[in-house]
Amino acid sequence: MLNGTLDTIGRLIEPGRVSRRVYTDPDIFELEMQRLFGRSWLFVGHESQIPNPGDYFTTELGRQPVIMIRHRDNSVRVLLNRCTHRGAKVLNERSGNAPRMSCLYHGWVFDSDGKLIGVPVAEGCSANFDTNDFGLAPVPRIETYRGFVFASLAAKGISFDDHLGGMKANIDDLADRAPDGKLALDAGVHRYMFHGNWKLQVENVLDSYHVPFGHASTVSKDGTQFARREGDERGAKVIEKDRTAADWKIRRSYDMGHGHGWTSNTKLDDDKRSSPVYEAYVNALAAKVGEARANDILKPKFHNSLIYPNVSIMGLNIHVRVIKPIAVDLTEVNVYPIRLVGAPEAINAANIRLLNVTHSAASFVQTDDAESFFRVQKGLQSQLTEWVDISRGLGAEDHDQDTNAPRGKATDELVVRGQYRAWLDYMREAA
Amino acid sequence: MAAVDMDTMTRKPELAFAPGDFELFLHHEARLLDERRFREWMGLFTDDGIYWVPAVPGQESPLNHVSLFYDDRTHMKTRVARLEHPMIHVQTPPSRTVHQIGRAMLEETQNDRGEFLIYSTVIMIEYRQDNQRLFGGHQYHRLRREGSSFRIAHKKVDLVNCDGPFGPIAVPI
Ligand code: FES
Ligand SMILES: [Fe+2]
Repeated sequence: MLNGTLDTIGRLIEPGRVSRRVYTDPDIFELEMQRLFGRSWLFVGHESQIPNPGDYFTTELGRQPVIMIRHRDNSVRVLLNRCTHRGAKVLNERSGNAPRMSCLYHGWVFDSDGKLIGVPVAEGCSANFDTNDFGLAPVPRIETYRGFVFASLAAKGISFDDHLGGMKANIDDLADRAPDGKLALDAGVHRYMFHGNWKLQVENVLDSYHVPFGHASTVSKDGTQFARREGDERGAKVIEKDRTAADWKIRRSYDMGHGHGWTSNTKLDDDKRSSPVYEAYVNALAAKVGEARANDILKPKFHNSLIYPNVSIMGLNIHVRVIKPIAVDLTEVNVYPIRLVGAPEAINAANIRLLNVTHSAASFVQTDDAESFFRVQKGLQSQLTEWVDISRGLGAEDHDQDTNAPRGKATDELVVRGQYRAWLDYMREAA
Repeated sequence: MAAVDMDTMTRKPELAFAPGDFELFLHHEARLLDERRFREWMGLFTDDGIYWVPAVPGQESPLNHVSLFYDDRTHMKTRVARLEHPMIHVQTPPSRTVHQIGRAMLEETQNDRGEFLIYSTVIMIEYRQDNQRLFGGHQYHRLRREGSSFRIAHKKVDLVNCDGPFGPIAVPI
């Protein structure tokens, strides 16, 4: 039985391997909800989801229901979605507009900054009842970066700036692609679930090792994947001569600290990227920022980025992906297409359409990943084999000057080890 | 009735086909899917045909909002090639399905284009790897006359749980 001491937790993680129990033990999952999701900076949503005062979006931080809402003064608030009377979830829809939020149960009414402004049958309140003590609680800390809203359920801890660190560049890279310098997550969401631990998805977003095998069914006879970006005729070269292609292997991954990481771009024939829709977009961007800057912005830099522990952003077919743990062996993932504000609608429509075939629940790519996660979770029921190997490239990393970060091959497991370093930092310390 | 872009349809009855002909066609389509004859299923679509499964109720456009499926011929070809690929893990073992089509009704006739809009209900039971699932929805086929039969110019399936979370969906509905 796990008692959560430094000693016990520490024994689950070794330099090149982790215990199967981090994926299968319900006690460890409970501890993760307290110690990791209970205090790390978590991605909540994007400001563009709530453009007008009273607009709200409901989600979960870990398993805890929260409301992201825009107040009258235009500020974005993140409040616990839990009535301060007897505990009912106050807002029940995924999104909407509610300048006043009223609880279904006994009718308490809250303002969009959380203040309690109405209690029916007020004469029944106890003598010292003070409405100021009964507002919907704001999350202890909230910060935004280029519209990305993050919150921490703990009052103390690493500052947001220190936490996000070098990953700002990855958000910038995406946001700069919009002629207006702004992104919008307003084109709906793909929701898929899998019977597996949440970390399987987190580890997978930077895993370039699996692609030729896990996604074999998306690779055509010439070894390339289907086209995933507007203007591409085909996707990346993944396989040649029955082996992982050289172009695929030269990609790199970066261990950015705090569990974050990213993988460099997929090698595509970038000079060949062209279509009327793409050209119109390039022209729209150049008209705003100049041709030289536009060229620089459009030079592909990253494939996928992970901002640990609950969000990844993809630079290839652009989207934001939020990982939501539900139980030790059940996870929901939400995938939001990104609309580039100020870009011709045709390129945004093309991005939305391509995301359907890469990351919807009925997509060509994501379905085989979910099957992998499901089978890992099944395989890890094998109790006689304790360890999961994450040792690829151990000790082989070099140091990247530009990002000041350890760098390894994208087909190695450097970034997974980085995730478990961060995991241990959260987990070994009582919340 | 959910909105379908059928503004240009007239309401003149079309005498060349009996309602039973449409129903037979839908049954034929369902059977191809249940028998995993995906390439033949794709062949039922016109070259400019579209297969659409929206991701929210009442979704007006596939271009400003995500969809579960929005396949034109290019995407459909990739999808079918993948379904035929020996290493499609999410179909190892394959799904077994049975479609039940009901309530087929001719909604609109557009004589000048030789097109008919058919409404029907669909229930698909899917079994795979110890797990049985149920999909149910309202579907709209825009059928284009071709000789004595039809091809599908546009098929839309409005699933009742379209905005819910799904486990992997590998086969078309
Ligand atoms: S629980 Fe909300 S008003 Fe009573
Ligand atoms: Fe994958």
